[in-house]
Amino acid sequence: MKAFLVAVAAALVLATAASFLLAENQRFAYQAFATSGARVSDPGNNLVGPRWTGDIKDPGQGGHHKAETGS
Amino acid sequence: MRRLTSIALLAATLALAAPAVAQVRAPDGAPNPTASSVNEEMLFKQDPKIHGRISIPNATAANLIQPQGREWRQFRESWLPWIGGLVVLGMLAALGLFYFTRGRIRLEHSEESGKKILRFNAFERFSHWMTASCFIVLSLSGLNYIFGKRLLMPLIGPEAFATLAQYGKYAHIYLAWPFMLGVLFMLVLWVRDNIPGKIDWIWLKQGGGLLGDAHPSAGRFNAGQKMVFWMVVGFGLAMGATGIMMIFPFAATDINGMQIMQVIHSLIGVVFIAGILAHIYIGSLGMEGAYDAMGSGEVDLAWAKVHHDLWVKEQQAKTASGPQLGRGQVPAE
Amino acid sequence: MARMKFLCDADRCIECNACVTACKNEHEVPWGINRRRVITLNDGKPGERSVSMACMHCTDAPCAAVCPVNCFYTTADAVVLHSKDLCIGCGYCFYACPFGAPQYPRVGNFGSRGKMDKCTYCSGGPEVDLSVAEYEKYGSNRLAEGKLPLCAEMCSTKSLLAGDGEMIAQIYKERVIKRGYGSGAWGWKTAYRETIAI
Repeated sequence: MKAFLVAVAAALVLATAASFLLAENQRFAYQAFATSGARVSDPGNNLVGPRWTGDIKDPGQGGHHKAETGS
Repeated sequence: MRRLTSIALLAATLALAAPAVAQVRAPDGAPNPTASSVNEEMLFKQDPKIHGRISIPNATAANLIQPQGREWRQFRESWLPWIGGLVVLGMLAALGLFYFTRGRIRLEHSEESGKKILRFNAFERFSHWMTASCFIVLSLSGLNYIFGKRLLMPLIGPEAFATLAQYGKYAHIYLAWPFMLGVLFMLVLWVRDNIPGKIDWIWLKQGGGLLGDAHPSAGRFNAGQKMVFWMVVGFGLAMGATGIMMIFPFAATDINGMQIMQVIHSLIGVVFIAGILAHIYIGSLGMEGAYDAMGSGEVDLAWAKVHHDLWVKEQQAKTASGPQLGRGQVPAE
Repeated sequence: MARMKFLCDADRCIECNACVTACKNEHEVPWGINRRRVITLNDGKPGERSVSMACMHCTDAPCAAVCPVNCFYTTADAVVLHSKDLCIGCGYCFYACPFGAPQYPRVGNFGSRGKMDKCTYCSGGPEVDLSVAEYEKYGSNRLAEGKLPLCAEMCSTKSLLAGDGEMIAQIYKERVIKRGYGSGAWGWKTAYRETIAI
């Protein structure tokens, strides 16, 4: 039983480590597909933007972002 | 004569070329710019996909049309659910049938009952359970890709199902790594006890004690266990290799390659699940006393002598006082 | 209702990439993601042709069939759309798609690549038409405003046609008859299992 619990814990730790390593390896499309002539350090505040993760967490807040960054 | 033939050939060539020259002109006599232009049909004859040049940095976008996804779709939507369902449910049915006909393989008591012998040490059990726990989650999240939308989604609704599938996807990607590590651990730990030999053939010919009442002799692992071992190692590595190629898109292969990887990954996956179901059955419900090997690591000496006689002899020959023998018990001989 | 399609007249396309730019600007499409792109075939050789390609909004769309969470749906105009709330970023649509339409905000690995993005035929997503939420996720909804996709609307050579399949096929046919040649409707066989007989 102890070996089982340790194994499950180890699997979770390794999976978490793998998630961080994979996140490290992850690249945004705007980084991967930029040419040297394109300055996309700040890709703007549209659909992408520095905050656009590709995941939608709070769809209702979209307009707010625009207003905020516009000021 | 030869000259005549060549003249005839020349004439034939000219005759063939004449309509082509005529086609270059449009109805109003203007030159036809499409006379030498590419067209879809011609390009598909050269290559199964149409590839060109693109000015954006995403080179994978240079494929104009690649219809191979249609065949992959045919596999995934028409074949895979049936193959997967039949393989997994078929194995469950076979195990059920076996349980109700053969019944549980009981522990045979002898004067050595109650004495324990260490079968798997802590690290072996750790490796087994790490791989096993990952496998359970991987297989469920993997089956979810095939059957989730058919079975689960109508029950819990699209939103709840999408959330579940999202976590399932994360679990599938991240738990794959401890799983692959566990497979490698088990390979290193047990490979020398799993080399097939003549004794395995005898074991198989006698039905392994599963079909009859015979107890063919076996070393640390009998032929059935060796098959499970090589299945886990072989399928585990194959799942890892095909999975990694899909985790890193375009790193090793293009879209067509990934389609093939997905086909291999899913086919091996369902067979792997069926194989492991049998392994789970015989290691728990199917045979009394077998679970202890991976539970506490110590098995009943009477059980060990019946099922792994050669291994017990070897262990007892190695040491009389026995660090392998648990709880200070003395060996029987 | 109409059966919306795209048709690129490759004999007119001059690879100006205005359709690409129009699309990116109209929908504020992130850098690195191209809902529409122009591919040049036989580049630099006689008979070179350029074709503007995006999601073709296929009949019996393969992306929709293979999606493990069924996040795709087809509108009354036969436009294939998807819900980014349901999408899990698995990439199956991207395996199945013959036109390379599905794309992801992150490309390094499959684990957390984010929600799929593709051409919406300028008709948004499952949210309320013309809402902020819809714009944030899918870009503008020109169809709801009674307009056709911007890429085709502003194509300078009128190479890219958008609209009801039968109408654009008719326009193309008339062109072909008038000028005497045409390289066909690229991708129609794959997307709609039909082609324009001339």
